[in-house]
Amino acid sequence: MAKETSERTFWGRLASWGPYHALMHLATASPRRQFLILAAFPILWILTQHLGPMLQMLRVSLTDAYPVAPGVEQHFTLENYARFFGDSIFWQPFFRTLIFAGVFTFCTLVLTYPVAYFLARHVSRKNQMLFLLLLLIPFWVGEIVRTYAIMILLGNTGAVNLALKTLGLIDRPIPFMYTSFSMGVGIVYLTALYMLLPLYSALEKLPKSMNEAAADLGAGAWTRFRRVSLPLTIEGISSGCTLVFLISTGFYATPVLLGGPSTTVFAETIAGFFHVAGDEWPTGAAFATIMFMAALIITTVFQKLMNSLRKGDKK
Amino acid sequence: MTKLILNRRRFLGTAAATGAALASPAYLRRASAQSGGEVNIWTYNNFVPDAFKEQFEAETGIKVNVRLVDDQGKQFNLLAAEQPNPTVDIMTVAGHRFLQFIDSELLAPLDTDRLSNWNKINPTFSESDWSTINGNKWGAPILSGMEVLSYNTEYVTEEEALTWDTLFSDKYKGQTAYIIQDMMSIVMLMKGYDGNMVAYLDDPEKAAAIVEEAKQFLIEKKPLVRKYYDGGAEFQQMMVNQDIMLGHSWNGPAAALINDGFPLAMTIPREGSYGFVYTYNIANNAPNADNAYTFLDAILSSPEIGAAMTKASGFISTYKDATNHLTDLEKKSTSFPDEQLANLQFFRAEANEMKYGLVDPAVEAIKAA
Repeated sequence: MAKETSERTFWGRLASWGPYHALMHLATASPRRQFLILAAFPILWILTQHLGPMLQMLRVSLTDAYPVAPGVEQHFTLENYARFFGDSIFWQPFFRTLIFAGVFTFCTLVLTYPVAYFLARHVSRKNQMLFLLLLLIPFWVGEIVRTYAIMILLGNTGAVNLALKTLGLIDRPIPFMYTSFSMGVGIVYLTALYMLLPLYSALEKLPKSMNEAAADLGAGAWTRFRRVSLPLTIEGISSGCTLVFLISTGFYATPVLLGGPSTTVFAETIAGFFHVAGDEWPTGAAFATIMFMAALIITTVFQKLMNSLRKGDKK
Repeated sequence: MTKLILNRRRFLGTAAATGAALASPAYLRRASAQSGGEVNIWTYNNFVPDAFKEQFEAETGIKVNVRLVDDQGKQFNLLAAEQPNPTVDIMTVAGHRFLQFIDSELLAPLDTDRLSNWNKINPTFSESDWSTINGNKWGAPILSGMEVLSYNTEYVTEEEALTWDTLFSDKYKGQTAYIIQDMMSIVMLMKGYDGNMVAYLDDPEKAAAIVEEAKQFLIEKKPLVRKYYDGGAEFQQMMVNQDIMLGHSWNGPAAALINDGFPLAMTIPREGSYGFVYTYNIANNAPNADNAYTFLDAILSSPEIGAAMTKASGFISTYKDATNHLTDLEKKSTSFPDEQLANLQFFRAEANEMKYGLVDPAVEAIKAA
């Protein structure tokens, strides 16, 4: 009876259809074939969505004209890379971006670690999901909307200045906006989640008994944090910092909207080649490649450093 | 304050749009061809009045797809990337950028014989020297604008705003903003040079020296400026939040704030400034060229539509008699005293390749400094 029912359903009919049966047999006949079928989708995804655009950017960066205008012949060249290394004008926004990204990553870590610690260690398991959900609420809206929220908070007529004025602490508004401070607040706010989740995940795995044992042996709160919690959450710190650093190097809209004349970041320089300058896509692509490589090298070195720290602690 | 302004703006926009709708049926009813299909337009915010768009779609069956742009260079790049099979039919090119688009074969010459309403445009714009290149017309002028000094009237006096020097004075340190690229041309003018650089076409060394001088001036004055900005909405936001008290701006966004009741005024300072004209252009190989001509002829059909565009965007209409359909406040916000207009000259395109070849790296240097 059950067999009859299954044969009447679509899936039942499909399973007993000859060509489908043969195809399934062909695809799953050996573990090797199963692996190939399973791997095909992620590989295809990475090739088309990640590697493909990057390779295209690399190709454009090695040409002297793109998009190619009628009657213009395209040639390969390293001129676009030479332009960066040959003109110190571009070094300042480049290094400024890396320094800003490093500082903002550190600030995000310092600000989110206590939150993650509280969440993982002091909130009951059944309430943790609720707290996480509350922390996630600002991330339900996009980057631009959240950036405008910061503008409303920090503007001359914004909530912070209004509160300070109402409390009688200031006579004239403090110009928070269009400074490295406002940009930092924006970037920390936008990237906090990417730091919080790996930290929470690492702290949540940390057995409470280890801290209790350290306390029994006479370790104070600071020593317990320094000698137990911190070393055992290095993996989470490493993941969070890598994510936040990489995201911070690529931010464009937030520095444009919240930054000022002295906070120009490299993403703005790159964008300039794509629209303000009109027809310099290859230079923009070369500069983007340089930033990508620099960020990759820094995060690789950072990861290695964190790995050696972790191994050192295990010894 | 912001809420009030937005509500007022929405109200004024709706009123303007209704006015345009009431004005246009006479033309659109005559448009017997219910051709259908679509027309794709790249333009700035508020350059196609909503009521006109709705009515045009209803009466012709042609769907109007608007994609907003905020930068001429970005528009150029998008179109260059799409050619020879663009997705756009009509773009909005500033008159002084024509050459760049024409040289790259991105624009189709405009067949004005297909536009029965061509004569509704003020000949100052439709027949001016910049609008004819290689014996062809390349666009239908719709709105004109200028680079002005805008100021909050509660903090800055009119006398102070009559010179660009105030923008660089210590008194307003941290309370000013400007678009660097545009400011480069104005600084050249302030220093007595030709900001269009046409005068130096035969003397590239002198051109380079002038750009260098303007660059050094803006680097020196960098500690005084609050923000280098890119778009009109950003300028409006800074003014409304009182983050700045005065700044260089286009007259359109400033006029929109004035019409909303914000205490703002603008001048064309005595050192001079530049004007520009926005035109609707047909893309080379436009996929819906016939619909594009139908749209252009319809939007040029009455001064009320021109006035609606002015009300919504703040820029000055190029249509004959459009001012007759503006309120007194709108007339005031889109006009200047004769003695100030005498300081105005239009951007020119002849030396653009040399000029922007020098100015673009200078802009990067100023930002990086």
